[in-house]
Amino acid sequence: MADVMTRLEPNTRAAARGLSDLSIRNLFIIPTIAFLIVFNVFPLLYSLYTAFTDYRASTSAPANWIGLANFRDLLSDPFIWRNFTITAKYVIISVTGQVLVGFGLAMLLNRPIPLKGLITTLLLLPMMLSPAVVGLFWKLLYDPSFGIINYFLGLGKFEWLADPQVALYAVAIVDIWMWSPFVMLLSLAGLSAVPKHLYEAAEIDRAGPFYTFFRITLPLVAPILMIAIIFRTMEAFKTFDHAYILSTQPTTELIAIRLYKMAFLEWQTGMSSAFAYIVLIVVVAITNIYVKYLNKAKAR
Amino acid sequence: MQRQLYRLMAGVAAIALSAPAAMSQELTIFWAEWDPANYLQELVNEYEAETGVTVTVETTPWQDFQTKAFTEFNARGSAYDMIVGDSQWLGAASEAGHYVDLTEFFNTHKLGEIMAPATVKYYAEYPGNSGKYWAVPAEGDAVGWSYRKDWFEDPAEMAAFKEKYGYDLAVPETWAQLIDIAEFFHRPDQNRYGIAIYTDNSYDGLIMGVENALFSYGGNLGDYSTYQVDGILNSDASIAGLEAYRKLYGFTPPGWSKTFFVENNQAITEGLAAMSMNYFAFFPALVNPATNPNAEVTGFFANPKGPNGDQFAALGGQGISIVSYSENQEEAFKFLEWFIKEETQKRWAELGGYTAHAATLESEEFRKATPYNEAFYQTMFMVKDFWAVPEYAELLTAANARIYPYIVGGEGTAKEVLDALTADWNETFKKYGRIQ
Amino acid sequence: MAEVKTKGEVIFNRAAVIAVIVALVVMLTPIFWIAATAFKPRNLATTVPPTVFFEPTLSPFAKLFTKRSQLREPVEQEVYDNAAWWEKLIYDGGEQVVRNRKSGEVTSSGFGNRYMNSLIVSVISTLLAVSMGTITAYGFSRFRVPGEQDWLFFILSTRMLPPVVVAIPMFLMYRAVGLHDTHIGLIILYTAFNLSFAVWIMKGFIDEIPREYEEAALVDGYTRLQAFWKIVLPEALTGIAATAVFCFITAWNEYAFALMMTSKNAQTAPPYIPSQVGSGLSDWTVIASGAFLFLLPVAVFTFLLRNHLLRGMSFGAIRK
Repeated sequence: MADVMTRLEPNTRAAARGLSDLSIRNLFIIPTIAFLIVFNVFPLLYSLYTAFTDYRASTSAPANWIGLANFRDLLSDPFIWRNFTITAKYVIISVTGQVLVGFGLAMLLNRPIPLKGLITTLLLLPMMLSPAVVGLFWKLLYDPSFGIINYFLGLGKFEWLADPQVALYAVAIVDIWMWSPFVMLLSLAGLSAVPKHLYEAAEIDRAGPFYTFFRITLPLVAPILMIAIIFRTMEAFKTFDHAYILSTQPTTELIAIRLYKMAFLEWQTGMSSAFAYIVLIVVVAITNIYVKYLNKAKAR
Repeated sequence: MQRQLYRLMAGVAAIALSAPAAMSQELTIFWAEWDPANYLQELVNEYEAETGVTVTVETTPWQDFQTKAFTEFNARGSAYDMIVGDSQWLGAASEAGHYVDLTEFFNTHKLGEIMAPATVKYYAEYPGNSGKYWAVPAEGDAVGWSYRKDWFEDPAEMAAFKEKYGYDLAVPETWAQLIDIAEFFHRPDQNRYGIAIYTDNSYDGLIMGVENALFSYGGNLGDYSTYQVDGILNSDASIAGLEAYRKLYGFTPPGWSKTFFVENNQAITEGLAAMSMNYFAFFPALVNPATNPNAEVTGFFANPKGPNGDQFAALGGQGISIVSYSENQEEAFKFLEWFIKEETQKRWAELGGYTAHAATLESEEFRKATPYNEAFYQTMFMVKDFWAVPEYAELLTAANARIYPYIVGGEGTAKEVLDALTADWNETFKKYGRIQ
Repeated sequence: MAEVKTKGEVIFNRAAVIAVIVALVVMLTPIFWIAATAFKPRNLATTVPPTVFFEPTLSPFAKLFTKRSQLREPVEQEVYDNAAWWEKLIYDGGEQVVRNRKSGEVTSSGFGNRYMNSLIVSVISTLLAVSMGTITAYGFSRFRVPGEQDWLFFILSTRMLPPVVVAIPMFLMYRAVGLHDTHIGLIILYTAFNLSFAVWIMKGFIDEIPREYEEAALVDGYTRLQAFWKIVLPEALTGIAATAVFCFITAWNEYAFALMMTSKNAQTAPPYIPSQVGSGLSDWTVIASGAFLFLLPVAVFTFLLRNHLLRGMSFGAIRK
């Protein structure tokens, strides 16, 4: 890895004045890590413990240790597997959509365009809204009787949310609308970092636009784009607010929705903790793959 | 790390040691954010004027009411002295010891006779027929219907209806008529639809709606004292009720797949539907010309009879309970004593609250007060409710999972659905040791 | 860019401009609709066909800030005539302001307080998350850290657990240490949420800053802290701006924990805005006015930072 070469060994004093590098490193890193550990350790251990019990937070009955029963029940429940399939489909659709739209917009904006600052700010507006408000308003926009989407697109009484086959896409569209700006902004920062001389060199070599894009632009933007994808994937797995407000069709029951019902409507606290840990393992596994790619992208 | 743990423990100790605050002359009632909570605040202001005890009605949005109440209970928080809780919570809250036992209070004040019998049964008593009471019926509520009088009374429509169905178009007296009328007014090409019903499966909306049909067709959800479900939930009567609800779904406006009280009121204000089911608590918005352009021509009726003359409506509404962790229980009891007085209940009704007080309900004055009070009065003597066991939410989830695809998606038959649900519920009851 | 433009490039540029315009229209229509609804009288919120031109009213805002209840009988003319302009708007909407019976004071909806709480909590937690995130990212980027990858992954993983599950233990923990319903409690919570994001994004940006810059400064007699402060931070400004915008948005709009961890003093605005269904009818205009007011600070904040957001990584041009 290229950056290891220049990475400082904090024990050797690179700067002879002021604080030693070692103390700076510790001062910069330890508080953050300590804070995150202290803040997360109790909730994590608490849910880990309850995952092996039949605890219900709505009652005062003590928790009984039931071993792996929660995990067994969950993994043998066909409804849960359906939740996973639906969520996988949803994450793929919405993250792909966000990357395509967001990166596309960034490519468009990464050229001399009048009013660029204003346009960028305006394009960022969707992600500034609260997800619950977004859910409510899109429900109104999608409404077959008085929604403006069908009206302006001339779709008549098209049922976006009532049709079980369409509803998941409708929910994903809202997510894409809301979060493409996130990908756009990060890509834009990445794009502006691509050295111009590389493009000039490519031009001299008479490289085609495809070659330039795939061989120069993409590899250089990849690290920051990858971070955007990691965060969007993690967040998409947790999608709750707008999805729950828009549709509660069985075909749109995302993991987070099922989890919410289990934890706060049914008060199966133990079971829901077990479920959450299963989800956590899946997300950790997926993120791990991403991070490997990220490191590979950086190594180039 | 360890120091943090100590600090955490020190915090716990500090809280435990900071003994209950001196008897404050303040009471807090927790409820959901809606108009009746405003009326209650107005009512309790009068209590303050009389006694000097400040009572505050604290509210939270409906969608989070249940979560917030139970997390507070779970933490044994004393933030709320009383809570106006949903009838389904009785089981969970009483078994867990969150609510103070009001049986003695109930018997001393003969509340069983003062309040409408059905409200006592569903808002206050748990387990069924046990004679143990946990709440005082506060806001009575149930499902009724609103309809478009102008559509019903249009001579051309009346003639056409008579010709098609062989009887006069009027407020439906039976579910069969309700379905006929819904079908008659269902005209998608004119942007007019037959009926608005509950379909929201995220909590209890859909099931509340279905109950109106199921109960009136003579069906039931099970035996609430023996937990027997088989042969009751999947009886022919229940099946016929569910089928009737499915029929109604065919006459709803487009996209009617996640609808509850807001959408159903909107169906009337936007002129979408001829008839619309809703809780009585939400009817004031429909007689207000500023919020409903069709206010002048909106009428109301009670849930009609089923084929065998059974007539029941799904219960909404809440009872007021004292929270076990409250530090002001004595004051709270005094407040409840005031609340159940006849004058207070009368005043409560005047302010817009839906009293469950039998004498007030029966009074001419109450029944004539609004266009829907008469229907409300009739309904309050024929309500039935969902299970109130602590695991009611699991029963609800299963019911939503089975019934929703049938009603909205037309998947399977009513019999298949209710047979499957019977099996689900039996399993849940076994899991909690209610049946063998 | 190349000075000589070919015909193809001209067409391509035009196509790009058109594409940007299309994107703007698509992305902004829902926003425009919310903003328009915020100024509509209630009866124009859901019309067929949609109402685009109308006489704007402040009635939704008057409703947003007050506690109201249904008018059950028409208001007396005299009372109406003596009412303030905003109260008239509420009467016109068929509602009345809830007043304190004794003092006659208007009951506020609490939106104003909630809004202030949101501002306090979001601004402070954003400052904390961005500053802690930046220095931590610098530490990871510039120094050898034992088990670096694992620590970074740990930081990332703090954001992976679905919030519904940590909500209950978090609530109990907050209750125990007295952080429940306090501003500090929410600030800590949102700082923790945003920290993982801030560290990762900032590391992405700082990694791209050539080390030669700092080394040159060290040779010139700067201490490492000075080099960090005077050389690295200015170069990382784009990253800091972008991170600040994202952190602010997350804290500003957080809903689930805001609801659970507060009850009176520290309530924030997001849970309040969608709750306008008290009478059994959605008042879209009030929801829209709340959403509109709530959007303003973020939009202004982002607009002010736009040049930093767009400046890009200027050093990139000389990177080898």
